[in-house]
This record gives sequence, structure tokens and C-alpha cells, in this order.
Amino acid sequence: MLRAVIRVTVARMTDRIAKANACGPSWEPGTNEDKARGVMTSVSEAVPLNAAAAQPPARERFWYPYLLIAPSMLTLTVVSLIPFIYTVYLSLHAAKFGRVTDFIGADNYMTLLTDPRFWNSIGIALIFIAIAVPIEFMLGLVGALILNQNVRGRSVLIPLLFMPTMMAPIVVGLLWKIMLAGSWGLISYNVLERFHLIGQTSIFASSGLALYALIFVDVWQWTPFMMLAFFAGLQALPLGPYRAAAVDGANDVQIFFNITLPMLTPLLVVVGLLRFIDAFKVFDTVYILTGGGPGITTETPSILANKMTFEFWNIGEASALAVLVWIAFFAFCNVFYQIAKKRLNAF
Amino acid sequence: MPDETKKPTADRGLIWTAIVVVYAAIVLFPIFWMAAMMVMPDEAMFARPTVWLFTPTLEHFRYVLELGFSWNLFASFVLSVLSTGLVIVIGTPAAYAFARFDMKFKDDLFLFILATRMAPPVCLVIPFYLIFAKLSLLDTFTGLTLAYMTFNLSFYVWVLRSFCRDLPVEIEEAAALEGWSRVQIFRQMVFPLLRNGIVATAVLCFIFAWNEFLFAFMLGGEAVQTLPVSIPKLITSQGVRWGEMAVVGIAALLPVLTAVFVLQRHIVRGLTLGAVKG
Repeated sequence: MLRAVIRVTVARMTDRIAKANACGPSWEPGTNEDKARGVMTSVSEAVPLNAAAAQPPARERFWYPYLLIAPSMLTLTVVSLIPFIYTVYLSLHAAKFGRVTDFIGADNYMTLLTDPRFWNSIGIALIFIAIAVPIEFMLGLVGALILNQNVRGRSVLIPLLFMPTMMAPIVVGLLWKIMLAGSWGLISYNVLERFHLIGQTSIFASSGLALYALIFVDVWQWTPFMMLAFFAGLQALPLGPYRAAAVDGANDVQIFFNITLPMLTPLLVVVGLLRFIDAFKVFDTVYILTGGGPGITTETPSILANKMTFEFWNIGEASALAVLVWIAFFAFCNVFYQIAKKRLNAF
Repeated sequence: MPDETKKPTADRGLIWTAIVVVYAAIVLFPIFWMAAMMVMPDEAMFARPTVWLFTPTLEHFRYVLELGFSWNLFASFVLSVLSTGLVIVIGTPAAYAFARFDMKFKDDLFLFILATRMAPPVCLVIPFYLIFAKLSLLDTFTGLTLAYMTFNLSFYVWVLRSFCRDLPVEIEEAAALEGWSRVQIFRQMVFPLLRNGIVATAVLCFIFAWNEFLFAFMLGGEAVQTLPVSIPKLITSQGVRWGEMAVVGIAALLPVLTAVFVLQRHIVRGLTLGAVKG
């Protein structure tokens, strides 16, 4: 049936293709194009129309996929690998105020690693991740399970629920700057001040609370992402195991822990780790809400690197920071990929 | 759990719906408040206690237009379309190849793509800034489009790959038997079948580009100033223009919200990042 359909389609297209003189290599037996291009050998011309013909000559199978990925790989090399190599170069030189001067070996790294401000930023990132990501994960999972019940009007609710995640992070920051503005901010005045949590100042100006306010904003922004990703996963699960469980009279808790959770694990791991990595990179919201302050109490590595580059113009040390973060991320990515692929079959 | 496994009564469905609606109302309230601030006079905005009823004003819209935000909107749009278009053209064949063929070092190449997506933009902005300065690419659409490739091209290949894997290989084999060339198979068969996946992934890429701040802020300037970058401009020496910020913020949200409403099914599928075999 399928082949018949295709045959008709192929026949219909033959004219058009002949006119268009389809570009690129072809492994159609014996066309003029093949001969003209000299790509094909007698092997392909002798290929009969049977199952074996579906296998193209080994030589072509070798280069065709590489041709397909070449543009992407080339682009990514230009925009990612070359900048990385350049950053390594910069990190090994005295580079201040945009002028790259002497080769100084690992000096930038030594300065950085003995700088308490660097370790402060790492600590802040770790606190941020350790609180924000698990909350987002749990809320997202619970939300997805609820959403997956017999909820009406999903086609309206889903885009609405998704709004915080799809807003520009800078707008999210702005939104919470407004909500939590000192004295007149809607939530500042009506909630925080009323319950004597803060005075008439913004929570983002409080050195003790600013980081937790940022975590709250991150949770607000990214819980919907987790929720919808998990919901999509739930929707895609096969029905068979659930029918079997229903026949066996399993209860909801048993079904969740013995069927849903194991089948959903690859997705949970991939989405959780992606969020983990993105939380480490948080920049936009912090930049507009606190700019790393008060003092350096919310200075994440991204904010610190940005300040080093564009405020202190200490490019050498900023590059050293970038290289360290980069290497850490790459190592992390590698482990993540190996686990996700080999153990969970998630890629 | 898929719906069909249980037979909840109508009441139960309504309770769940009510829970979700209440949750949504609480979580989204700040956004509605920001929308209200677009037409809120300044006196009402800064009042203590909070003023809930006020006479709407169009003052903020007027100010925003006077500052030339239509150009920011245009720049955002051009940049997002350019970078997304380029990603589709060069990313689609790569996603297909990663899903369909065996390659030497395939795992390593794919890891390279993943690593590019994971790399913190703030690390890339330093070399980009210095290289772009040398090549006079600062404050140009070309430069920013290139910079956006780092997160969008890698994300696109990653996610579209899972859509490609869902295509039935039999149909391609049948076409090959009929003597179709590989280019024909790709253009006439794979590409149309993949359209939903491409739309879903491309919309996510468009949203990322539309919302991007760091690159646009550091590598852009006066000529190419996107909507997110224009927001800090409203912190003036005479004070912060909150109402105007609300207008720009909502304006930045609307196109994305529309896209998600129209294409929600595809987008939700794209969010599983290839970790679910659909």
C-alpha cells in the first residue's frame, strides 16, 4: 500500500524533478545526472530493485551524513570553539582595558583562585541552585500530575501557566522589581510590610534577604517550564502498563511509584539537569534586580565575570574565570550525557 | 498518567480544574497587575495604601512611542527572524543526520553541540566583544545573529533530532527503492513530514532570541537595540519610568504569548528535549 502510494507520487514528480534538475548527489540508478557527476559507479547501475537496493554504496553512506552536519559544525566551531580558544589565550596574558600585552602563564588563574570574591560567587551560585532547583522540580512534578488529571480547558490554561517562563528574563526581573519595590510595591506594601517582614525598603536592598528574593523569582519563572515538560512526558507515556495495573487492581500510589516514575525518569533527569545548568548561568534577572548587591551578597559567577570585563576591564582575569566555568561545565555535560545516554537511554 | 486509565467522575475533574485555575490566578496576578500599570497614572502607582481603582491614562504609551520604541520592536523582530531562519536552514539537515545515520565520533560531535548549549553566555561575551570589535561586527545584525547561533543552533539540532527519530524509516527506504535520490527524499519527504517538529523547535528558538538580553546588551548598541535592552533605558535621571516599563514588558510578551496559544501542542512536545520517545 505504502509503496503504491509512493510509486504514484514518484511518477508524478518525475517531470518536475527533471525540469528542476535536482541538485546534489543522487543514487538513482542510471540517471543522466549520476553519469554527468561521475559520482556513481557501475555498482549502482547494476543494482536491482530489491531490498538490497535500499542500501546505498558504502562510499556514499560514508560522506552523506557528514555533508549534512557540516554547516552546523562549521558554524558552531566559529561561534563556540574559536571564542573558547581565544578566551584561553586571553586568560594566559596580561589583558587590561582591552589591550593584550605580556604572556604571564597561570598568573590570572592564581589571582582568581586566591580571590575571596570568586569563591563568594561560587558559594552564592551553589546556594541558589540548591534551593531553587529542587523546589522547581517538586512543584513542577506535582503540577504536572495535577494538570494530567481530568482538567478542563487545558488549551487556555497551558499557555497562561507557561507565561512566566516565556517572558523575557529581563521583563521578569522588571516585574518583580515593581511588585517588590520599596514602600509602594504591591507585594512589599500589602504582604511583606503588613506582616513586618521588611520595612519601607525593597527586599532586594536587604543583604540578608536579597538572595532568597532572587530564588523566589527564579522559582516563579521556571516552575511552569518544569511543569509543562513533565506534563508533556506524562502525556506521551504508553497506556499498556496502566491498563495492566488497573486489571491487577493497583492503587494510585503503587501506579505512580512502579509505573509512572520509572518511565518518566529519563525526562526528569534531562530536564532537571538542564535547569541545574541554566540556574548556574542566571544573569538577566539578577542584573536588573540587584546587580550583585547589596555589596556582593548576590554576586553570581556570571555577574562577577561581567563586572570584571565591563566595569573593571580586567579581561585576563575574567577570561580565566570563563575558562574555569567552561571546563567545569564541559566536564559536567560529559558526565550528564554519558549517564543520560547509556544508563537512561534518554538521548 | 494518561487520562484514559482512570474514569474520574465529572465532579473530580471540576475540582482539579478549580485547583489549577486558583493556582494560575495567584501565580499570574503580578502579570495582570503589570498590564494594569500600562494605563495607571503615576499618582495611583506610588500610592500607599495601594489604589485598586483609578482613571486609565494613555500617557505611558505616548512616552514610549516618543522614545522610539517602535524601532526597538523592529530590531527585535528582524534579529529573531534572521537568527531563527538561519538556524532552520543549517540545523535541519544536521538534526536529520544525527537521528538517521551512523557516523564516526557521532557521540563526540553531539556532545560538542550539547556543550555549546550549556556554555554560559557570559563566558562567550568576552571573546565575542573583542573579536567583533576587531571585525567591526559590534552593533550589527550580522554579529548578533552569529552570537545567537551559540544557544539556538545547538538547541535546535538537539530537539529536532528527537522529532527526526520519530519519522518512519520504512517510508524513506521505500522511496529509495523507487529510485529517489537522497536530496529528493530529504526535500520532498522528510522535510514535509518534519514540518510540525520544525515549527515547534523554531518557535522556541524565536522566543529565546526574542527574549535574549546579555548578547544584545553587550554586543548591540544604538543601531541594533532590541526590546529587552531598551528596558534599562527607562531608568532615567529623573527616576524610573515604571508605567513605561510595564508597556514595553507587556509589548515584549504579547507576540510570544500569541505564538504559544496557537502552537501550544507542538511547543509542549518540544519541551521534552528529546527525552521522551513519542
